[in-house]
Amino acid sequence: MSFETLANWVHNWLYETLHPTVALLVEFAIVGVLIIGLFAVLGLVLVMMERKVSSWMQLRLGPNRIGPWGWFQTVADTLKLIVKEGMTPNNVDKLLFNMAPMLVIVVSMVIMAPIMFAKGIQIWDINIGVLFVAAVSSLSIIGVLMAGWASNNKYSLLGAMRSGAQIVSYELSAGLSILVIVVLTGSLKMSDIVMAQADGWWLFKGHVPAIIAFVIFIIAATAETNRAPFDLAEAESELTAGFHTEYSGMKFALFFLAEYVNIFVVCAIGATLFLGGWMPFHIGNWEGFNHVMDYIPSSVWFFGKTFLLIFVIMWFRWTFPRLRIDQLLSLEWKYLLPISMFNILLVTIIALAGWHF
Amino acid sequence: MTLKQYFSNIFTGVKSLATGMKVTGGYFLRHHKEKITEQYPDNRDTLVLAERFRGEVIMTHDDNNEHACTGCTACELACPNGTIKIITKFDLTPEGKKKKALDTFIYHLELCTMCNLCVEACPTSAITMAPTFEHSVFDRSQLIKKLNKPGSKIREGVE
Amino acid sequence: MTLAQIVFYLLATFTLVMAWLSVSARQLFRSAIWLLFALVGVAGIYFWMEMEFIAAVQIVVYVGGVVVLIIFSIFLTNQSGDDMPLAGMRRRIAAALAVLFGIGFTALLVAGHSFTASPEKFDNEVSRIGYAMLDTGVGGYALPFEAVSLLLLAAMVGCIVIAIKDDGRGKANKETSATPEK
Repeated sequence: MSFETLANWVHNWLYETLHPTVALLVEFAIVGVLIIGLFAVLGLVLVMMERKVSSWMQLRLGPNRIGPWGWFQTVADTLKLIVKEGMTPNNVDKLLFNMAPMLVIVVSMVIMAPIMFAKGIQIWDINIGVLFVAAVSSLSIIGVLMAGWASNNKYSLLGAMRSGAQIVSYELSAGLSILVIVVLTGSLKMSDIVMAQADGWWLFKGHVPAIIAFVIFIIAATAETNRAPFDLAEAESELTAGFHTEYSGMKFALFFLAEYVNIFVVCAIGATLFLGGWMPFHIGNWEGFNHVMDYIPSSVWFFGKTFLLIFVIMWFRWTFPRLRIDQLLSLEWKYLLPISMFNILLVTIIALAGWHF
Repeated sequence: MTLKQYFSNIFTGVKSLATGMKVTGGYFLRHHKEKITEQYPDNRDTLVLAERFRGEVIMTHDDNNEHACTGCTACELACPNGTIKIITKFDLTPEGKKKKALDTFIYHLELCTMCNLCVEACPTSAITMAPTFEHSVFDRSQLIKKLNKPGSKIREGVE
Repeated sequence: MTLAQIVFYLLATFTLVMAWLSVSARQLFRSAIWLLFALVGVAGIYFWMEMEFIAAVQIVVYVGGVVVLIIFSIFLTNQSGDDMPLAGMRRRIAAALAVLFGIGFTALLVAGHSFTASPEKFDNEVSRIGYAMLDTGVGGYALPFEAVSLLLLAAMVGCIVIAIKDDGRGKANKETSATPEK
């Protein structure tokens, strides 16, 4: 039994036994609980993955004390963070200081809505799918700015401003590279974008523009999630920890969790746009091969592709040194933006002429 | 910036990034064969330390209990934080002349930063850095060490 | 009252409360944050009306653009963390009059308009907006669209002209201004 049939069964059962309004509210609650569960699992898995990938790339062992090969290290870390005191320092703007981590985490929850986790598993198939993600993700920068301001600390403020300048700039090229796929598909809807890739992923079907857009998207996604080599907002060596210098305990953990969930979300968007979401890998007329690929569940395809992209972003982090702020901005405004603008012109010509497969 | 430079910038940039990723990616692929982590307290017996590891200053003695220190105090002068104190004495040579020689080489491990300047300053290579690092003791006075062994003397021919 | 109505009133109350907080807050930064939430509330009402594209544009333009710009200018302002002085009586009366005028004007418009429920479902396809934007016929927005883009282009060129470093003349000016000082 696939997850889709289970979901349909629950849906029908709820609407048969309860008043439609109550059933809707119950479904909201179920989805909320599932999303929170997904958040917890993602936080544990991604932090562990980051630590293991980083250690393996540096020929180290990584966490190896708690559980087999240290796999339960993040569980222990989480327990420690939960029982830790959530400090609110004096002379901070208490309301905004406590609101900032909540805002950041709520925003990353809302972005989850249009993502297709598997065939038929989507919270909200909104007709502006990718635009929704692009729009709502711009809210998370407000949380960062809020945290930086409310902390009443010069490092936090500088970190927040850097992060703001960075996210505002890189949103442009991320948006333009998303537009490339929107032009090819002719729809903003996530389900349409995935269905358009039934006979091949856009990365392979879209010729050179899709590849350029993919590279630019990965770079911009790394920058938007404030990860190395674009982690100027945190920049331990310069700004102690940037906008979350003053945070501790669970409030810090929420920022940390939001960072990792955002990585997951941007990689999920990248996988959906360029690598076909939950679509299996098909090669032209190889019937047998395609048939075997179809047997792999769609959720495995989706999470596999997403985690592949997450691995690439982690690979960046553990290879490249941090950029300076002027290098960061000139990379965006002198290189990525002109290239992606030219790219979108190119893809429009290709789409109009019908040269893509 | 000409158009050609612009594109060559992109090309060299991407190439250098790819080179870096090749290195870390290679490490990632062969991480199970090669580990640089020493799980210290567990592998105390098989611990391998790098040759250039600096744990403490020692004076090398050969089998005849002879060292190469002339007592010139070059190391004492080179030390930035007064770790070394050399007490000299005067030996009588067979010809009946007085000759300056080492009496006691006092080394304050608790003050040493392992900067290696004394080893570099030594004209006769009498002292060197040893790869030992388990120096914790319960009393600070135990960290003041006498480096020349009792009864040792300078090796013949070392000036 | 249906769930949709409850949601509408919740959103409307949220927007109004945030708007009130935004004008009554004594700290500039808090004011900007409440303004942000008021704008998000408006976007929520658009979502409620199933006008997703407009809602997303509202968030992108106002929240991601305008409010971030406002916050940046607050960050770069001296002493923006202090409480602002309370407004004087004249300004308060003027503000109250402006608000009353706004409410009256809107109420008059709403009262004068007869709302008729359309039987067919509203088509909120994004592509329709795109076609309307580039339509040259009746009801098309090609001309205003192009005019606005020309205006934006002019503004951008103007910004570049102001911000650009003019090496040749700038240096000459510096030298001429530097000589008399010697």
